[in-house]
This record gives sequence, C-alpha cells and structure tokens, in this order.
Amino acid sequence: MPEKKREKDLTIAEKLYIPEIVKGLGLTLKSMFRPKFTMEYPEVKFIPPASYRGRPVLVQEESGTERCVACGLCSRVCPSLAIEVQASETSLEKERYPVKFEINMLRCIFCGFCEEVCPEEAIVMSKDYELVFRDRSEAIYGKDKLMVPIRQVEDRIEFLRNFK
Amino acid sequence: MPKITINGQELEFKAGQTVIEVARQNGISVPHFCWHPALSVSGNCRMCLVEIEKMPKLAIACSTLASDGMVVHVDSEKAVSARNAVMEFLLINHPLDCPVCDQAGECKLQDYAYRYSSGESRFEEEKQHNKKRVELGPFVMFDAERCISCSRCIRFCDEIAGDKELTFTKRGDRVTISTYPGEELDNPYSLNTTDICPVGALTSRDFRFKARVWDMSKTNSICTGCARGCNDEIWVKNNIVLRLTPRFNKEVNSYWMCDEGRLNTFKFINNQRVDGPHIRRNGQIVKTGYDEAVAFTVSQLKAYNPGEIAFLGSAFASCEDNYMLAKLAKGTLHVKNIDFARHLIPGSADGILICDDKAPNSLGAELSGVKPAPEGLNFEGILEGINSGKIKVLYCLEDDIAAMSPEYENTLSKLDFLVVHATNHNATTVLADVIFPAAAFAEKNGTMVNFQGRLQRLKPAVATIDMDRSLEGMEMSRLDKFGTDFDKWAKKNRVDARASWKMLQTVGSLMGLKMKHQISEEVFADMASCIEAFHGLDYDVIGESGIKIKVNNTAKATK
Amino acid sequence: MELLIQAGIALAKILIVITVMLLTVSYLVYFERKISAWIQNRRGPNRVGWYGALQPFADVFKLLLKEDIVPSNANKFIHSLAPFITLFVSFATYAVIPFGPDIKLFGRTIQLALADVNIGVLYVLALTSLGVYGLTFAGWSSGSKYSLLGGIRSSAQMISYEVSMGFSIAGVILLSESLRPMAIVESQYGFMWNALIQPIGFITIVVSAFAETNRLPFDLPEAEPELVGGYHTEYSSMKFAGFFLAEYANMIIASAMIVTLYLGGWQFPYIDKFGLSMGLTAGIQVLSFLLKMALVLFFFIWVRWSIPRFRYDQLMNLGWKVMFPLSLLNLIWVAALIMIFNI
Repeated sequence: MPEKKREKDLTIAEKLYIPEIVKGLGLTLKSMFRPKFTMEYPEVKFIPPASYRGRPVLVQEESGTERCVACGLCSRVCPSLAIEVQASETSLEKERYPVKFEINMLRCIFCGFCEEVCPEEAIVMSKDYELVFRDRSEAIYGKDKLMVPIRQVEDRIEFLRNFK
Repeated sequence: MPKITINGQELEFKAGQTVIEVARQNGISVPHFCWHPALSVSGNCRMCLVEIEKMPKLAIACSTLASDGMVVHVDSEKAVSARNAVMEFLLINHPLDCPVCDQAGECKLQDYAYRYSSGESRFEEEKQHNKKRVELGPFVMFDAERCISCSRCIRFCDEIAGDKELTFTKRGDRVTISTYPGEELDNPYSLNTTDICPVGALTSRDFRFKARVWDMSKTNSICTGCARGCNDEIWVKNNIVLRLTPRFNKEVNSYWMCDEGRLNTFKFINNQRVDGPHIRRNGQIVKTGYDEAVAFTVSQLKAYNPGEIAFLGSAFASCEDNYMLAKLAKGTLHVKNIDFARHLIPGSADGILICDDKAPNSLGAELSGVKPAPEGLNFEGILEGINSGKIKVLYCLEDDIAAMSPEYENTLSKLDFLVVHATNHNATTVLADVIFPAAAFAEKNGTMVNFQGRLQRLKPAVATIDMDRSLEGMEMSRLDKFGTDFDKWAKKNRVDARASWKMLQTVGSLMGLKMKHQISEEVFADMASCIEAFHGLDYDVIGESGIKIKVNNTAKATK
Repeated sequence: MELLIQAGIALAKILIVITVMLLTVSYLVYFERKISAWIQNRRGPNRVGWYGALQPFADVFKLLLKEDIVPSNANKFIHSLAPFITLFVSFATYAVIPFGPDIKLFGRTIQLALADVNIGVLYVLALTSLGVYGLTFAGWSSGSKYSLLGGIRSSAQMISYEVSMGFSIAGVILLSESLRPMAIVESQYGFMWNALIQPIGFITIVVSAFAETNRLPFDLPEAEPELVGGYHTEYSSMKFAGFFLAEYANMIIASAMIVTLYLGGWQFPYIDKFGLSMGLTAGIQVLSFLLKMALVLFFFIWVRWSIPRFRYDQLMNLGWKVMFPLSLLNLIWVAALIMIFNI
C-alpha cells in the first residue's frame, strides 16, 4: 500500500483539486455504461450456490421416511431456541423418529448450527429464501413443511461432505 | 487413625474402607463403572485403576483396602494411560448410539469418554452386533449392544431387591445380560437398574424417548406414593412432569425408589386437572371465578351451625394445608368434627422401602392439628353423622373419599353441601357442590412428615397460573431460562390451581380467620411457633434431606 | 382589449412555464434516481410504467397519502409556513428567466420569458437570498436539535457563497452592461459565451450554485449521517415534499441562471447565418436553451454521485478563502479585458 499522503505532500495539480474532481467524474461516467448487476427478482430468481444457507429442511429418504432420529442436538445447539423436537419410538431400525419437529422461522437465524451438529445429515440448509407468513402461527413450520425429498438437497449434502 | 495419601493429600480413614471410598469421601474423583457405594464390589470394569506405590502393578481402587501409609496416585501417567486403554476397550463394541440413546447427557461412559479417553479408536473391524430391544420386564428395556457388562443391575437385584432375576450369559465379546429362564425383571424396584446402569443399556420403557435430559429441569422433592417419602427429583419439560428419579438420602431411601412411586405418583399432575374453581349450579358442575366460589362457600358455611359441619383434612396434602384447615375449622368456625382418612393397606410393606400407609403425610396431618377436638367426631364418626343426618356440611381437603369404597360414596351423596379441594376430577368431585382447584405436590412449597417422623420439603416443579416459574425461584430448564413469555412452552400447560392453604386462607378471611400469609414459608413459621413438634424449624433448617422431629406419643407411626 | 390579450398571453406563458416546471422537477427526481443507479451499476426505478416512467407520480401520491406529522414542541405556524416560503421563492424566480428569443405569433411579438425585467439578475439574487429563510425557519421551528443545526448551517453556507456568486455575476454584468437577462443573453452572440471569456468566473458560479442549492458536495444542511435529515428532519407528507420539490426547482433555476449568464442562454452559435426561417430559428434556440439546461442538470446529478460531502470547516474555507478571492480575480480579469480590448 502506498504511503498515505498528507496535505503537504500533494502536488500542485492535486492541491488545485479540480483535476482530481475531473478524474472522479470520469470514473463515474465510465461506470454508467458498465453492465448492470441488478437481478430483477420476482421475474428472475436467484439460484444460490450449494454453500447458501436458506431455511433448514429435513431430509426425506427415497422410502418416504425422514432421516431424523430426533436426537435433539439441533434443538440443543440452536442459539435462538427455534427448534422443537419430540421423539417417539418406531419399529424401524433407527428406533426413534420425530413425532413432532417444529422450527419457528421467526426465531431461526439461519446460522446452520443445526446442520453442522446433525449426526445423520438429516437437517440441512436449503436454498429456499422465500419465507412469507401472514401471522406468527404460520411461521412455525412442522414436519409437513420441513420434509424435502433427498434429491432436492443433494448438492448441499455434497457440499457438507467436502467442507464441513 | 490410620492415614493414606491420595494425590499428595494425607487423608484419614476408618479401617475397612476401600481406596475408592476414602477418595470419594474426600472429594477426589476416581472414575468407575461397576462400583456402586450401595452394592457389593465386583471389580470387573477396571476403570478405577490407580497407581499405588510399592505395588508391582496398578490396582483397582474399588477392591483395594486402604491401609496405613499407603500412597496412591489417581492421575499419574501410568494410571491415566491405563484408563485410556480401558476406555478404548470398552468403546470397541459400544455402538455410536448417543443420538438415539436416552442415557446421553447422563451417561457415565459418555462423560468418561470425554474426560479420560484418548479420543480415537484403533479398532477397524466390525463392531459386535446384538439385540437392540429386549424387554427384560414390564418397565425395563435392554439394549444388548450398549451394555458394558458392569453387573450393577445383577448385583442390585440380588442384593437390594432380593430377587435374583438377572445374570450374564455367554463369554468374551458376546457376553450379555439375560433374565433367568422363566423369570422377568419384575421386582417392585426394577427401574432402579436403569438409574444405576452407567450406560444406556437399561432404559425405562415409560420414559423412553420422551425427552433429552438437558431439556428438562429437575427439582428436589419427595415421592408421595407412600409414608416413606423417598427423596426424589422431579424432571419437567414444557411444564409437564416426565419422570421421577430417586435422590440419595441415607436416612430414608438410600439411592432407591420403588417402581410404583416412580411411575404412578406424578401422572395425575399432567391430565384431568381441576382447572379453576367450579360450583354446582342447577345440578351441574360449572366453572366459575374464585370470588364467586368463595362467596358461595362462605354463605353456605355460615348457614349451618358448627355442630352440623365437619372438616376432613388429608394425608395427601402438605402440613401447611392441613394446618390452615385446622385453624379454619377449630379456630374460626369452632367446629369440633375434624379428622382425616387413613389409607392403610396392612401387610403391603415389604421391608425395603414400601410402607403400609399409602398416604405420604398421615403423621404430618395429625401434627398440624387435624384431629378431632374433645367431644368432636373422628373420621368414622363423621361418616356416621352424615348417614344419620347430624352432619350436613363436609369440607374435604385433597382426598378422594368417595373412591375409597362405594359405601363412602353413598354416604357423601347424602350431604347438603360438600366442598372439595381437589387436584383432579374424581369420584368425590362428582358429588361436590364447590370444587377448589388444588395445586398438586409438585406445584407448591410445603412440608410432609414421613412415617419415621422425618419432616421433608416439597418443592414446586410445575408452574401454575398462581406460581410463576422465574418469580417463585423454581428450577428452570434451558428453555425456561432463555425463552420469553411469548413462547409457547412458557404459556402452555399451566393449570389454574392454588395451594390449598392459600384457598383456605381466602375462605377463612371472610369468616374471621386473621391470617395474611403470602408464601408457604410464612405459614410454616406460624406452625413452628405454635406446634411443639415444629419448634425452631424453618425451611432452611429442613434443607434438602429433611430433619427428624420429635413425635409425641399420640401420633402413632405406622410403617 | 389589448390589455386583455396581453394578460391572456402572460397567463398562458405562466401556465406553460409552471406546468413544464413541475413536470421537469418531478422527472428530475426520476432522472436523479436513474443516473445514480447507472453510476452504481444498478437499474433504478423500473417498476411503475415504462422503465419506471410513472415513478414520480407514484411518489407524489405516496407523499400525499402520508400522515402530516407536526412535532408537539414545534412552532406550528412557522413550521407550516417554511416549506411554502421555500417553494414560493423557487417558483417566483422563474419569472425572469428567458428561454428563447422574441417570436412573432399572429402578428404579435411575444417574448419567450415571463417578464423581461430590466433588473432581472438583481431580482434573482434577491429572491434566492430569501430562500434561506425557508430553510432557517424550518430548522428553527421544528424544535429539534438536528433541524436547528441544519438550518444554521444552511444560512451560514448560503450567505458565504452568495458573496462569490454575486461577484461572479458582476463580471458578466460588466461585459453585458445590463442587468436584463435578455440583454445578457444577447451579448453572448456566437461563441462569445462568458464561460469561455471568463472561465474562473464560470467555475466560481458553478461551485456557488452547488452551495446555494444545497447539493452534494455541499449538502451539509441535510447531512444524513450527522443530522438525520437536517432542516427537514421533522417534516413529513406534503410539507416534506415541498422542500424536496424546492430543492429540485432550485436546481433548475441554478442551471437556467448558469446557462443564461455563462453559456449563451438560448443562443445557438451563428444560427442566423444558416438562413433558416424565423420560426425554425426560434424553435432551435428554445431547444438549445433546454438542451444546455439539461446538460447542466445532468452535471449537477453527476457530481452528486461522484464527490463526497465536504466537512463544514472545509466548506467555509473554500467559500471565503478560495471562491471569494477567485471571483474577485475574475472581476479584475474581466475589467482588464474591457480595458485592453475595449469591448
């Protein structure tokens, strides 16, 4: 980094200020004709990369059951107390499953701790960033809204395997 | 006294103590799985290996008797590496089940794996697989993979429950626990095995998968299943009681608790509660406000002369509740007919913990003043009086008299006016004219006296509308601490019930009872000043493990 | 009868000017947003109407529907009066700006200016210095520290820069020997634009114009990071819109004045030599006036999104220690020119 200039170090042209202003104006003028970054959202949707942390979802296996074993670690680690899990017994090999799994999306801060702590890769952050509710009770997502077929979150799981 | 040096500390001990006992007594932790202070020494887990000077090899602290001049190093390099090795061996076949295991959070293996294990395994082969769900008995589930073969459960059944039911079968890494052929783990204390099991191999079928331990708050209290008053912990999540576990008290229950008390004494708190006061209007029991219910009760009580009124205390209510009832009956209304129902089942005591008296506070009720005044009627007398029409009004504290026998139910139906303090809707409330919602034992502060004459504390674990969790200083779980009042777990499951003494004081204050107690501690202070047995006591003196009080001869202890 | 026609013509001119003026102001806001977006590689308003062309109207309706909040400890009367003073001053200044040469229509000579006052320049100077009252009143009457600071800053700034502005204009007047805007425009025939003859004066008047209109880099009266909104912190709804409109109206006046005084006004160099018809010539001249104004306005906006805000002491230093001496120098320069070339 070049040494910071003090007022006494300035050249006469710089002291006059006007050439510098002209330079600045030239820069902004140039950028007026550069391509625009704006994405016109409702028509053009942003498709986030796998590293994106959208709303957390539960992974649904091909068989239709959730991967989750209701261990409650996500609920424990959740810094905003957004997750509520109630376990119950199942005859499947995994022994327990969440009879109730609720995430309060108003509390969720999308930190991804739940995903990080999950021993089963059962809760992952999706690419869904469009969360709209009309009242607070609607913001509590139950299993019906949280379960997502594994196909839809494959790239996130892949990402986690590589970088977690 | 002989002296032993452990970790550089010179400690005195009594002859016959083992090294682990001396260490534990002095606050030095020696990790262990199979050793339990109340069970015989087995010495099979090898976790308590310590280095003892002048001994050629490491020794297990649980079976080595302390001797004078012995120098023990619990955390020497050799001992630590031996423990690492033991942990590695134990973890070879232990499944990575923690996420689905109920023991997680209170698991010794888990804790020690963090503290004493090297953190990695060199075992690359397939783990030994075994049965995951074995129903050992009506209350206990066994997971054979998780078992580390410490034999605590076997020793418990043999030595404490006195019922040989469990044993090891097979050898090597196939060793497993099993019941003897034709036997079931069905002794009345079977669930204690799930408490002493250091891993999640034995779990309670009742509590299985209900909650993670770290989500619950636990409150020190006592069991109300019988006159023993076993010390226990009440585990609560979302304001619902999920389980009771025993709490050590040498004088009362040691480390144990019976299955009956553990499973059947709390479930009434969670459902079919009397939610708010009810009165009978046009023959129907309807919910109403406190003011109306109290005014109705007072007007009825005033309409009869004291000879026509009877009061029944309760051996299920706290001393404070009974005291307030006695004050109202004897002191304010001058009613002489006051007693309480005994719940004795002679012959049901088993010499371990279970008592004949199925009510937790018979002694306390009597000490608090619930006994007939001279010329007053006792319990049987009151019921006869009702039958003969002499007694027209009955004021009944938390006890389901009608359920005791059909005869009693018939008797109660003859009353002109019946006031009941009840936690749940039951046979008696069906006949009642006024029902005051009573806080259950886990919803109020109070005291009870067990059959030994030991005064013990009840503490609130469940919040009611009257008892706020944070304001009343109740135990709080993580959710209670960090949530807000707007969260559903903070709002849900709160019953509109009040401690009976509080309700009785309100009723009494309209009839001349001059008491203005805000909290039950003040009621107890009042009792301590005028009841001899409670002289000089307060809640702090009673403490966590209770205190033995002087019981005079009139109050007969019934085991 | 003649009087009535005269009045009718004047009224028509007023209507046209006011309408054009209001439209320009609202679209100036639109273009400001568009240009700022382009400079920042964004798209700008593009939802309401074609490329967001109806955005100004949407904004106006929104502002109209907003609740008018008057702070409880404000001086209610002055608080309400302030935006009207500001607006009135801005609009009244338009009266003397010539936007074209005289034209002949239905046998009448019509001046393309609302009023060809022979002291037009003084009129403009007088009115713009009144404008400061609006801001100072707004700042004082709101009963808010931020507003008061904004008001004080604006008055100090306006007074300081009015000096150099006055001297810059004096140079022009020396050359044109008239205070009549028409005459000033006419004196800049061909390429005899004052901007070319007295470049220092051009620079000082542009800088002063920025300062007088409270535009960046001299928008200290409403410096958001320090003063929330400056003098209009406590304004909402249409009263706020009044200040907002006035700011843009002032920009238009400033640019019109710059064009008139320094950029040849409605003159198109040597257009009378092209041999075009009278009507066409007038049309081209009006257009050239509008084009010059548009360019100056663009320059205003362009500078706003390029240069950061000055510090208050820098602003004052610049005003008194640089701009004021420079404008004096310009005056000497013009006087010297007159001496030497006997213009």
